[in-house]
Amino acid sequence: LDPKALPRPLDGDVEPTPLPEAYSMNCDPRYLRLTTSAIPNSQSLVSRWHLPLGAVVCPLAEAPDGEEVPVLNFVSTGIIRCRRCRTYVNPYVTFTDAGRKWRCNICSLLNDVPGEYFAHLDATGRRVDLDQRPELTKGSVEFVAPTEYMVRPPMPPLYFFLIDVSISAVRSGMIEVVAQTIKSCLDDLPGFPRTQIGFITYDSTIHFYNMKSSLVQPQMMVVSDLDDIFVPLPDDLLVNLSESRSVVEAFLDSLPSMFQDNMNVESAFGPALKAAFMVMSQLGGKLLIFQNTMPSIGFGRLKLRGDDLRVYGTDKEHALRIPEDPFYKQMAADFTKYQIGVNVYAFSDKYTDLASIGTLAKYTGGQVYYYPSFQSANHGEKLRHELARDLTRETAWEAVMRIRCGKGIRFTSYHGNFMLRSTDLLALPAVDCDKAYAMQLSLEETLLTTQTVYFQVALLYTASCGERRIRVHTAAAPVVADLGEMYRQADTGAIVSLFCRLAIEKTLSHKLEDARNSVQLRIVKALREYRNLYAVQHRLGGRMIYPESLKFLPLYGLALRKSTPLRGGYADVQLDERCAAGFTMMALPVKKMMKLLYPSLIRVDDHLLKPLAKADEFKNITRLPLTMESLDSRGLYIYDDGFRFVLWFGRMLSPDIAMTLLGPDAAAELSKVTLSERDTEMSRKLMEILKKLRESDRSYYQLCYLVRQGEQPREGFLVLTNLVEDAIGGTNG
Amino acid sequence: MSEMANTDPEGIDGVRMTWNVWPRTKVEASKCVIPLAASISPIRHHPDIPTLPYSPLRCKTCSAILNSFSRVDFTAKIWICPFCFQRNHFPPHYAMISETNLPAELYPQYTTVQYMLPNPNVNPNNPTNEGAPSASPVFLFVLDMCMIEEEFGFVKSALKRAIGLLPDNALVGLVSFGTQAQVHELGFSDMSKAYVVRGSKEISKDQIMEQLGLGASGRRTPAGYLQQGMQNGFPNTGVTRFLLPASECEYTLNSLLDELQTDQWPVAPGNRASRCTGVALSVAAGLLGACLPGTGASIIALVSGPCTEGPGTIVSKDLSDPVRSHKDLDKDAAPYFKKAVKFYDNLAKQLVSQGHVLNLFASALDQVGVAEIKVAVERTGGLVVLSESFGHSVFKDSFKRVFEDGEQSLGLCFNGILEINCSKDVKIQGIIGPCTSLEKKGPNLADTAVGEGNTTSWKMCGLDKSTCLTVLFDLSSSERSNAPGTVNPQLYIQFLTSYQNPEGHTLLRVTTVTRRWIDSAVSSEELLQGFDQETAAVVMARITSLKMETEEGFDATRWLDRSLIRLCSKFGDYRKDDPSSFTLNPCFSLFPQFMFNLRRSQFVQVFNNSPDETAYFRMLLNRENITNAAVMIQPSLISYSFNSLPQPALLDVASIAADRILLLDSYFSMVIFHGMTIAQWRNMGYQNQPEHQAFAHLLQAPQDDAQMIIRDRFPVPRLVVCDQHGSQARFLLAKLNPSANYNNAHEMAAGSDVIFTDDVSLQVFFEHLQRLAVQS
Ligand SMILES: [Zn+2]
Ligand SMILES: [Zn+2]
Repeated sequence: LDPKALPRPLDGDVEPTPLPEAYSMNCDPRYLRLTTSAIPNSQSLVSRWHLPLGAVVCPLAEAPDGEEVPVLNFVSTGIIRCRRCRTYVNPYVTFTDAGRKWRCNICSLLNDVPGEYFAHLDATGRRVDLDQRPELTKGSVEFVAPTEYMVRPPMPPLYFFLIDVSISAVRSGMIEVVAQTIKSCLDDLPGFPRTQIGFITYDSTIHFYNMKSSLVQPQMMVVSDLDDIFVPLPDDLLVNLSESRSVVEAFLDSLPSMFQDNMNVESAFGPALKAAFMVMSQLGGKLLIFQNTMPSIGFGRLKLRGDDLRVYGTDKEHALRIPEDPFYKQMAADFTKYQIGVNVYAFSDKYTDLASIGTLAKYTGGQVYYYPSFQSANHGEKLRHELARDLTRETAWEAVMRIRCGKGIRFTSYHGNFMLRSTDLLALPAVDCDKAYAMQLSLEETLLTTQTVYFQVALLYTASCGERRIRVHTAAAPVVADLGEMYRQADTGAIVSLFCRLAIEKTLSHKLEDARNSVQLRIVKALREYRNLYAVQHRLGGRMIYPESLKFLPLYGLALRKSTPLRGGYADVQLDERCAAGFTMMALPVKKMMKLLYPSLIRVDDHLLKPLAKADEFKNITRLPLTMESLDSRGLYIYDDGFRFVLWFGRMLSPDIAMTLLGPDAAAELSKVTLSERDTEMSRKLMEILKKLRESDRSYYQLCYLVRQGEQPREGFLVLTNLVEDAIGGTNG
Repeated sequence: MSEMANTDPEGIDGVRMTWNVWPRTKVEASKCVIPLAASISPIRHHPDIPTLPYSPLRCKTCSAILNSFSRVDFTAKIWICPFCFQRNHFPPHYAMISETNLPAELYPQYTTVQYMLPNPNVNPNNPTNEGAPSASPVFLFVLDMCMIEEEFGFVKSALKRAIGLLPDNALVGLVSFGTQAQVHELGFSDMSKAYVVRGSKEISKDQIMEQLGLGASGRRTPAGYLQQGMQNGFPNTGVTRFLLPASECEYTLNSLLDELQTDQWPVAPGNRASRCTGVALSVAAGLLGACLPGTGASIIALVSGPCTEGPGTIVSKDLSDPVRSHKDLDKDAAPYFKKAVKFYDNLAKQLVSQGHVLNLFASALDQVGVAEIKVAVERTGGLVVLSESFGHSVFKDSFKRVFEDGEQSLGLCFNGILEINCSKDVKIQGIIGPCTSLEKKGPNLADTAVGEGNTTSWKMCGLDKSTCLTVLFDLSSSERSNAPGTVNPQLYIQFLTSYQNPEGHTLLRVTTVTRRWIDSAVSSEELLQGFDQETAAVVMARITSLKMETEEGFDATRWLDRSLIRLCSKFGDYRKDDPSSFTLNPCFSLFPQFMFNLRRSQFVQVFNNSPDETAYFRMLLNRENITNAAVMIQPSLISYSFNSLPQPALLDVASIAADRILLLDSYFSMVIFHGMTIAQWRNMGYQNQPEHQAFAHLLQAPQDDAQMIIRDRFPVPRLVVCDQHGSQARFLLAKLNPSANYNNAHEMAAGSDVIFTDDVSLQVFFEHLQRLAVQS
């Protein structure tokens, strides 16, 4: 199998072609994608499909202007739901009995239409008020929930910061960037004027801050009793941001200088975590952890365990990728129970056991941001953008999500960052537009008799404005008896997203190699099955064939094997980096995932040289295959995986271009050079291109790394291992 | 009545003894009933005491110091120690000595001298103290936060005023407490910063050091980084972080106090505030121990209620559970008491070993636990002031006095050590008063210990010019060796007090006294001539208080009565079994009345007061000089009228008259009492009319006299101004002899008062005494 012969996804993720008219009221694929839009009617079909059967859900995906999900107020009438299966009223329900009854599309129960919701039916059986009822015409709506959907008054948006101030944190410059960024975002935190905020800093001791609005300055309170941590004040450690704004700003202004002489090398991370929990547990909210030094004292103390080379390749290898101390999983469970979502920002230049610490984000619906060897001068901009994004994106609070489906099928497993509250209820203390969840489906009965299967995702959450809401996405899919149809309706993006999550999960209990092979095996089996289906009629002999919908699957499968969580062995990826990538990818929406797996590579030197070219014309620049042959040593290339840029300077690139872009730095080793805008047309143009690339997706910020052809090991590390089609890293498919 | 005191009964030495001539034998001494005791004021100010800028000479055998009682052989340049008779050679620099060229310590009138010593109190951790405030006064304030806003305002402004009064180099620290204790890091410039310690559990000194980052193992410093701890020459950062010179931290402290809130933890209805006084004091002691061991330093605790949280708790949080009373203590029904006392006893030990003082300012309507904390205050030589409110002048003016310098200064001194040398047959039982035994053994120890005993050396972490101690003596039980030539008719006692004065100098005060031995079997008349009634009364009061506190089931009244009867039997003039023949020698005549009043005083009749008040009264009884202590037992009463100059009046209800003003001084309070007529005239405003200037003067005179007393007294007494038959009049009546009570009201003259009491009157008391004393 020659990868170079495979079709390449040079246009990125391709959404599945829309289903016929009958399914036109489905929610947009940005919210829900099925691995195949043709649901098999029998177990035997399922077993011959080989690929995962399931869905990828991104309940809060950002919608373009004009396509926002409509918000409907049902507080007075009550929300219309099926009496039996609790399905929300949706475009696929049918009204009968002159509008007095409605039939549930999921369980077929005939429900009464409540008096306040009654409308007459027209001659075709459609409600006369249909054009005023988005819930009956749109696949995605949002209901404002009445009080029975609340177990307590809706919580205010709450941001709590837990900041490492040990010596390495101070020296990295992280604290200053964090303080400045938080301050700059204060006006944009969601939920004004109810937003709450609070801070704890820690080294070998825990520092609380009294931010009472009447104070001129915050008051710092240090607790050093790590074995028996306690809260030093009953109130005012968490304050209303608008009331205590000046105290909060005073704190953020002092924070960097306050610790600039700190000599403390210890990290009482576990006790600090408990302290944050105590302060937050009343309300819940979002906990942002800025962690630099490996937890060294108190509960949750961690060990340097990633160094033991002997376990690699053995059955014990996976243990390094899961938490060692049950403390972290227990804390995560407690956080989730009290509606606290945790995001971990990790900065260390040494091993800090992210496998353990990242657990906090994994089980609370959060995410892990990793900036290895962070130095503010180099990485500050990335942190600034990503933290700002984290703080200002619309967030859904104290949420739970459930996906329902019609009779005969059932969701059996869920994959991503969350904790399961019951068999099918995902607890998501805080969730936002950048988080996606995957789930697998199985047939409950041997044969499905219905023509159509319906899916409904319901996310019950508190909006930042204080409203309790339910976001409902509904989709229908045909049931088929033909395996070929299943393949034709397959969605590579959803399949790969699900595969990726399954493979990462497998690395937590198996060797990397096993995880890689399991994916490959399923792809091979599927393609073989497809070939068997058609080989005879097409007389194709030994050639490989695949349906149009799956034409990129082999290459993505290859890319997946080379992705950071799965690639190679011990030496290929630092353990922390591998774990961090795993946590990140478990939450990625489909498009982002596809881009990370098969990044874009474009050549820009010609474009930069065109005298009158506008920056936006670069869109016409074609993406190149990720292979060495694409790189011309006379060219300048941008490699973009959605998380970083690599600017590759060919050895023979015109020195003028390098000079114009980099000035005198052009002669230096490029690993020491940072790209900044220079006063030349060409430099401005390049920066504009980078800006445009960044604007296409703001969930992460691509820092720009420069590399010159042949500059090893940097080139190998940054570019060559990522040329997924090349046989590097011993992972040739 | 009290006699008008001799202006300076203590003289240059500040020593008063119960007996100024001593019986020869232990047996004789015990027949004297009143123990051999000396009340000493170790660093009392006296203008005639010379300060000598050199070190003293010590006897090479017993290490007593050369004094005016030493015999000197000028030709041989030898002095003979009066204590052990050792012949000591003068060192070369005394070569010029002659009968006409004496060093001051040999002048006969300088029985008390003071030596200025080279400063040994330099912080031992900090030998290179260039300009370092090693001898600066150190004040660590420990502030209660569980109080109403108004009180908190009072105490904050008192604190601010105090800080303003401190010398620039005084080191200041602040611990605040409520549910938890907070140690404020005043040296942290970016914002107000405090270390918070849980209030509910005991915390060891090591844990405190660890938690404050002061432990030896506390902070690991990464290689390549300079140890920053050596700022200002201090080896650990504690001083620069938590204790700062007043000049540097006054602004920080003031703004901190401005923003400091009362304890924020909610108090459930029907509950007391959660207050961790014990932990706060532990933390304060630990902080000083870590930063300034061996250097004089004061903890100043400002407490407004009982400890209800953690170690040192004296009562539960439930308000329906009252704070222990004397009855509870008596019936062993005070579940927290012993544990709390034990806790403060340990705290006292720690403070003494560190050389630090605990001062207690308690202002509350209810008790705060003075009875429990007493041990730590008294053993460290701390001050104590009890008042009803931080807004009350008793607190405000007393508190100010602590920090003032100049005339009104208390002259707080630190690191005092008292040593006593005495003649061979004189044995020391112990000391009652603000000090701690250093357990230094020696040949002069008595068989039985009283108070702080088993030692010839005591630590006084804190002391001031009014500090007074009672030394109890005994005599050698072995028969006196009667070898001719060695019988010395005089006994000698030398008190050596080294201390650090407010300016940071180390001084050694040496007082050497001598008394005559007498064979009392031969002449009790001569013994009696040396009897100091006032001192004897005070010593009896102190011993009684001590026994009441330490001896289970001790019956004070009975013990006092029996002692008095025995004393009267021994020294009275009478014919056996004829009460009417009984007379008392004038040297002795006032004593029974002192005993009568002592029996009725707050020291014996404790059930009229709370245990906190009793503890407070007793601490002051023990540390005040004889004259003041005598007033506590037997108040003085002065009468003001048109007919005569102000004059002492009988402490008797009969002294009340409608046209008189009485001024009662019972030490803790001063009462100005207007007779009925006086009050009427005053209410009618006569004093404002020019023709009644004499009346205005009459009204003013007791006010002026009271203010004069108040100005010199610490703690500042409470001033009560009242009228006859007014509700406040009880403050006077409680102290008067009930010569007229409701049992004999019919005999009363018009215009006088009746006291509603069953107490026996002085006359009845005397009759009983006479009858019992003459019984064979
Ligand atoms: Zn239903
Ligand atoms: Zn001697």
